[in-house]
Amino acid sequence: MELEALQTALPEIQRLGANLIAIAPELEKYGRAIHRRLNLGFDILTDRGLQVAEQFRLVYVLPDYLKTLYSQFGSKLDEFNGEDAYRLPMPARYIVDQQNVIRSANVNPDYTIRPEPSETVSTLEKLTKTPG
Amino acid sequence: MTLQQKLDDFKAKFESGGPPYNAPKSTIETMHRATEELRRSGLAEHALKTGDRAPAFTLNSQDGNPISSAGLLAKGPLVITFFRGHW
Repeated sequence: MELEALQTALPEIQRLGANLIAIAPELEKYGRAIHRRLNLGFDILTDRGLQVAEQFRLVYVLPDYLKTLYSQFGSKLDEFNGEDAYRLPMPARYIVDQQNVIRSANVNPDYTIRPEPSETVSTLEKLTKTPG
Repeated sequence: MTLQQKLDDFKAKFESGGPPYNAPKSTIETMHRATEELRRSGLAEHALKTGDRAPAFTLNSQDGNPISSAGLLAKGPLVITFFRGHW
């Protein structure tokens, strides 16, 4: 749902001279499948071993009881992510400026809450008006 | 409809326990427990935040092409969204 919403906002993001990427720990073939299914105009990058998510300090280990539940659902994270550790990134959206500084950070431990793409667009608008 | 409204609608449908998901009450409780524990752990407060320097990275795209943050940032600001996966 979030990727679709971001796709809708993509023309505005690009109009502001910015780029958009999505990062998930799962293997390329899964990223390719969603990319095709949703017909996305931005890349989905594979974060093998959650190395980049680690650097942003977003990684958590699933408790055993949740592991069991996800396995029952057929969410085989070990297969999806190509590692035995049941780890995931907390959902997050960042805006980074051209000086490599994070200008907006939205991290939520509750995966059912996501920022609106329109908020991201308005933050970008402010950023491009007042550089540095 | 906003993204959050769509997410809320889905959540309400799922948590109603009715079709098409027919989620048992125990499942919903387990998911709530996990979210609550993660929230209370305070982990999100330790994530990189506004004002921090963003780590540079190069990762493969869905087509296997290496994409570098530096290459994208040379063109303009970059929006990065971290998500859990297709499931």
